[in-house]
Amino acid sequence: MNRNTMKRVFSALGTVASVGAVGLLVYSSSAAREPFTKQELADQEKALLAAVDHGRDLWHGSLPSMSTNGLACGNCHPDAAASNPHTFPKYQADLGRVISLRDMINWCITVPQGGKALDVNSADMIAMEAYAFYLYRGTKIAPGLATEQTPPVVVEGGVGYSKKGSGVGYDRESTGENR
Amino acid sequence: MEDLKSFGRRNFLTISGKAGLTTLVASTVGVNFGMVKVAEAAMGPGKVSAFRFAILTDAHLFSFPDHKFDGFLADAVDDVIKMKPDIVFYLGDIAQNGKEDQLAKGKKILSKLTMPMKVIPGEHDWYLDMGAAWRGHFGNPTWSFDHKGVHFIGMNSILVRDFWTPAGLSPKQRMDTMEMLESPIAGPWGVREEQLDWLRKDTAKLDPDTPIVVFTHSPLWDYYPRWNFQTEDAPDIRGILAKFSRVMAFHGHVHQTVYNRIGNLSSVGTLSTSWPWPYPDVQLAYPQMRMHRSDPGNFKDGEGSQYIDLEANFNGTMHYNPFGDMLTPAMKNGFVI
Repeated sequence: MNRNTMKRVFSALGTVASVGAVGLLVYSSSAAREPFTKQELADQEKALLAAVDHGRDLWHGSLPSMSTNGLACGNCHPDAAASNPHTFPKYQADLGRVISLRDMINWCITVPQGGKALDVNSADMIAMEAYAFYLYRGTKIAPGLATEQTPPVVVEGGVGYSKKGSGVGYDRESTGENR
Repeated sequence: MEDLKSFGRRNFLTISGKAGLTTLVASTVGVNFGMVKVAEAAMGPGKVSAFRFAILTDAHLFSFPDHKFDGFLADAVDDVIKMKPDIVFYLGDIAQNGKEDQLAKGKKILSKLTMPMKVIPGEHDWYLDMGAAWRGHFGNPTWSFDHKGVHFIGMNSILVRDFWTPAGLSPKQRMDTMEMLESPIAGPWGVREEQLDWLRKDTAKLDPDTPIVVFTHSPLWDYYPRWNFQTEDAPDIRGILAKFSRVMAFHGHVHQTVYNRIGNLSSVGTLSTSWPWPYPDVQLAYPQMRMHRSDPGNFKDGEGSQYIDLEANFNGTMHYNPFGDMLTPAMKNGFVI
């Protein structure tokens, strides 16, 4: 890019910036509001949680095509534990390449469960992903390797369980240390 | 309390349900519940004649024919036979969905064992018909007997409060609810008052130096309540057993190696023959007893059987016997319980 070209680009950018600034002033003086209303945010959260709920059902065997041997994701990954969504993409030894969480979900469906893979862009796959990521929300993203098994960080429910442990062992849920 | 030598095939299953729990006549078809070589008479309190026992658990058999878990259990049975234990204990969850055909299949596979076996139930065995089929195959879930100086106790620790009647659930819905490890609907498991009463009576006259080994499906400590890695009335059980010098407790359900000690009680988790559960986010007192992460591409990794060698002074060595190589150095050659 020569100097004249650069000059023209900066000039153009300046014009765009000026127009944008004026636009912002007009917008902010006439529409000083949050990007979304509380109702809109509630609706969005409701939609997300509906996907999470659907993912939870799928995780526990609600779609028969995902398994031919009775096993569901929840058999090995209760509360999505050890699914480690925050570590994807990463190298999967059985496939010999770096894969996404969606690829890993389909590997589990087709190999240990002997089922039919989900369309990677389907609503069902997004729901599966939503469930796993939702339980791991707040976890530091660490693509590449899972060096240890990790449970989900949020464990809701537990109704009826003792909130005070016996003093033996250490349970983050019963001591209220979970987020 | 009865001595094992007093029992023949038929009676072996119904040992000791003395506290009023229903004792159903057990079918013995296909399973060797015969007598073991027993126990010299004249052994004083605390004296054990050294012997080995083995544990199998959590096969989670489905109704599908030739399911992979059928083969895993059969392989573990072969491994146990090679270890030549006096007795084998099965710690629950033979079935996945509580179906009679699943229990019958498990019983048939286990019938290859050449030594006596005692069984306690898991939640997957129980909640389709509230234990009717299980009792038909395996008898009373609450028992005790003596063998070579050791007092063995088995109890049903998966009893929950009635959550299904108020909700109007069908038996299958009740079973489905119990099948989910992380379902909080059913609430905590326990052995409940009737078995606690039985335990008090069963142990009342025993000398405090009597070696005690107790089996439950769930751990007798607060490991991770959300997954019922706990028994709600475990503190009561430990209280009843507190008078004894030493108690060894073994449990199924967790599908992993885990160890803990609480006062006079050592608690040991066991490998399943189905799949390994991940470790919950709990600080363990003995983290060296956590097995390596299993390879999901190797369906038998993280599973297996186990056997325990008891010595004359009631010292015990735990040997996990996994299908794959997943033991830490602390466990490789066995560890003192």
